[in-house]
Amino acid sequence: MAFSFKEIKFKFLELIPLLLLFFISLNGNSVIDFKFFSINVHYILIYYWVLKQPQALGYGFIFLSGIITDVVFGLPIGISALTLLIIASVAAYVRAVTVRPSLLYDWMSFIPALLIANFIYFIALYFSNYSIDYLYFFKNSIFTFIFYPFLWVIFGILINFTKSGSHA
Amino acid sequence: METSREDVGIAIRSAFLKKGTQQRFSLFALIVFSIILIYVETIEAKPLDYLRSFIKDTIYRGSVVVSLPSKGFKSVVSTVANHLNLYNEIIKLKEENAQLQEQIYDPGFLIFENKQLRQLLDEQVTSSANFVSARVILDKQSPYLNSFIINSGSNKEIKNSMAALDGKNFIGRIVDVNFFSSRVLLVTDLNSKIPVLVEPSGHHAILSGHGTNEPTLEYLPENHKVQSGNKVYTSGKEGIFSPGIPIGKVRMGTEKIFVSLFSDISQIMFVNINLGDKNN
Repeated sequence: MAFSFKEIKFKFLELIPLLLLFFISLNGNSVIDFKFFSINVHYILIYYWVLKQPQALGYGFIFLSGIITDVVFGLPIGISALTLLIIASVAAYVRAVTVRPSLLYDWMSFIPALLIANFIYFIALYFSNYSIDYLYFFKNSIFTFIFYPFLWVIFGILINFTKSGSHA
Repeated sequence: METSREDVGIAIRSAFLKKGTQQRFSLFALIVFSIILIYVETIEAKPLDYLRSFIKDTIYRGSVVVSLPSKGFKSVVSTVANHLNLYNEIIKLKEENAQLQEQIYDPGFLIFENKQLRQLLDEQVTSSANFVSARVILDKQSPYLNSFIINSGSNKEIKNSMAALDGKNFIGRIVDVNFFSSRVLLVTDLNSKIPVLVEPSGHHAILSGHGTNEPTLEYLPENHKVQSGNKVYTSGKEGIFSPGIPIGKVRMGTEKIFVSLFSDISQIMFVNINLGDKNN
């Protein structure tokens, strides 16, 4: 009985990224607004988990999460899904070419992911006739980049928990 | 050089085209599907509209359920804060009460006059327009859109571009209608442009949202006489909304002319949708 409880506990830990992905999409918390800055948690979550443990976040779920975000935020359906998949693509590419992963390497490779994703986002919104605050998005990208190491540490702890559970 | 190019090609193929470990879909296929979805969004067709309505209604309901814990938490925090402030509020209320006791006089005539004026106002509004009340079910103020989701849609004859009111004050317009829900685009949103009339000068202008609490007046004539405190109403130009719906008061800034809304948008729980003239 104790074993099965432990098993359930670690299964739940493995599901946390997926639950978090859908929670932030449905709850409309993809972009967390603080007083002077905002962070796109969605981007960091997807980039980190596709890079470190792709089996934890299926591409289909990422797509679905993007669709939900679009509906909740009132954007044309498909824009966030496309952007999140671009982030996942860059992460998958970086994973394929990285021999010795490190925080610095992950962090620096997050820059092209943000640039490409935001570029595609702007283009898609422009052609859908949506006005957006460019300065807001610029600041959001900068702070999302700055905040990456904090979530890198937190998610790292979660991965360690999961690993220790699976080895026990 | 050749080997390095091949390596990049292999990495790209591995990242985009292969399904990878425990992945059911390839990234490339999903990206193409997303682009198709964005294109399909621009197509207007009845079956597609029904499908979109169904998807949106389902997601909104899911979102309401997921937001329940955070709403509950906010409500607990607010209750605790109110309890903590009780002592100060009682002292303040006692002082106010003492002041009012001193100023008390027979308000009979004012009550009568007020009642008559209210009746007149009600008659003016209800005689020409037709309202539907709806509850705000989601008020996620995203950086992209300042909007609400309300729990009425085409089932209550709501249509795109109808005016949304808080009480009798204009707060936005309908931009997306599903079966059981609709989206209200607030006047504060970056995409909101409303034709308005400034009283008493009588100037026409466009009320333009900027994502902040106060929208601004644009396209006023060069020699306008707009001053702080002037009232802003819908002009009814372009035939979108009924004319004369109050919006807010003018506040003169250094470079822009701001409008302080009569309604506090962060506190709205119910909205009235103006279905238009009963006779038409």
